Amino acid sequence: MERDDIGGLLARVSLRDRNAFSLLYRGVSAKLFAICIRMLKDRGEAEEALQDVFVKIWHKAGSYTGDGANAYPWLCAIVRYHCIDRLRARRPQGEDIEAAVDIADLAPDPEQNAVLRSEGGRIDTCLEALDPDRALAVRQAYVEGLSYQELADHFAVPLNTMRTWLRRSLLKLRECMDEHA
Amino acid sequence: MSTPDQSKGDRSRDEVLAGEYVLGVLNGTERQKVDARLRHDWQFAAMVRRWEENLTQFNDDYAEVTPPDQLLSKIEDRLFASPATAAAVKGSLWNSLVLWRGLSFASIAALGLVFGLDYAEQIRPKPEAALTADLAGEDRAIALHARYDGTSGRLSVTPVASGGAEKQSLELWLVEGEQAPVSLGVLPQTGQGEIDVPEDLRARLTKGVVLAVSLEPFGGSPTGAATGPVIALGEVRP
Repeated sequence: MERDDIGGLLARVSLRDRNAFSLLYRGVSAKLFAICIRMLKDRGEAEEALQDVFVKIWHKAGSYTGDGANAYPWLCAIVRYHCIDRLRARRPQGEDIEAAVDIADLAPDPEQNAVLRSEGGRIDTCLEALDPDRALAVRQAYVEGLSYQELADHFAVPLNTMRTWLRRSLLKLRECMDEHA
Repeated sequence: MSTPDQSKGDRSRDEVLAGEYVLGVLNGTERQKVDARLRHDWQFAAMVRRWEENLTQFNDDYAEVTPPDQLLSKIEDRLFASPATAAAVKGSLWNSLVLWRGLSFASIAALGLVFGLDYAEQIRPKPEAALTADLAGEDRAIALHARYDGTSGRLSVTPVASGGAEKQSLELWLVEGEQAPVSLGVLPQTGQGEIDVPEDLRARLTKGVVLAVSLEPFGGSPTGAATGPVIALGEVRP
């Protein structure tokens, strides 16, 4: 399915058009199911999650706001957040996220009040500016839905070190993408 | 006291928090706090949206896995199991293919405008007791701003731009959920259009319903149901 079509289908779904819902399902369910499986690592739960997600899409289609180009990221975000919520409920963790981490200040926001636009192509360039390990941590956190603790275990570093890594990486990415805006 | 340095620090913290939220590394409690904040802090919500778009390339890492055959029908059972709902939708011309021809572009444009309004509303005091909807059309043939005064029952519709639809009329429809659209009347051919909303419909014109404009034969739909293509629509909001 062309990604541009998704926005149109979502608009029709928001008006309770079942044909559009079924077309949308046929167009994106394989991708969304793959996200569920990758994140939840359990096919049965992935099937449940996918059902929940499409129920959400039916009800929330009206809250999709955009020009169509960001409809696909919007859908992926719904699925990922649903899976992350399931993961966090499954393995409750008492992390203190407010633990002090030295965060550098960003320059004034060049995009303040500016219209949001797609910046997908820039992320690879900006990731290359990070240490390979840290770029990988960012990517794995996103793709696998790993928590700070799981990332720390995976990279065999203390939890606070991982937190510092990731937060500094995010700031560097933000700066890099602002500079190239 | 807030100094420029502190506000820069706040923005850094917010950008990091938004990034952490999109990556998914926060714990359950923190995610819930962010979810709550997203509902009222539009600047922070914009940061999250920007991260989502920035990181969307990572979605390419997911392959495709076809779900089991019966999954769609399970979902549809969960959504449409109620017989009442099924009947309402079945009987609705709203689902006709003709009606939907050319809709997608219009609806995207309409939703885009509503999105724009969302932002504007955060910084602008809004008049009381008035509901508005912005309706935009395919190829910019027509764009309308609709304003409904609940006290007088007057619905004013201002064309912002108009292409000539000769010997045809624009009809305004009220759409509530899954029900068939109800006609609010035919728009005047030129200038600012105002429609007296019938008494019995006034209570139904409220937040959350959708206003749609369809292209109909001159004088309005001959059947009382929308027959032409929907050229614009928008959700009514305070």
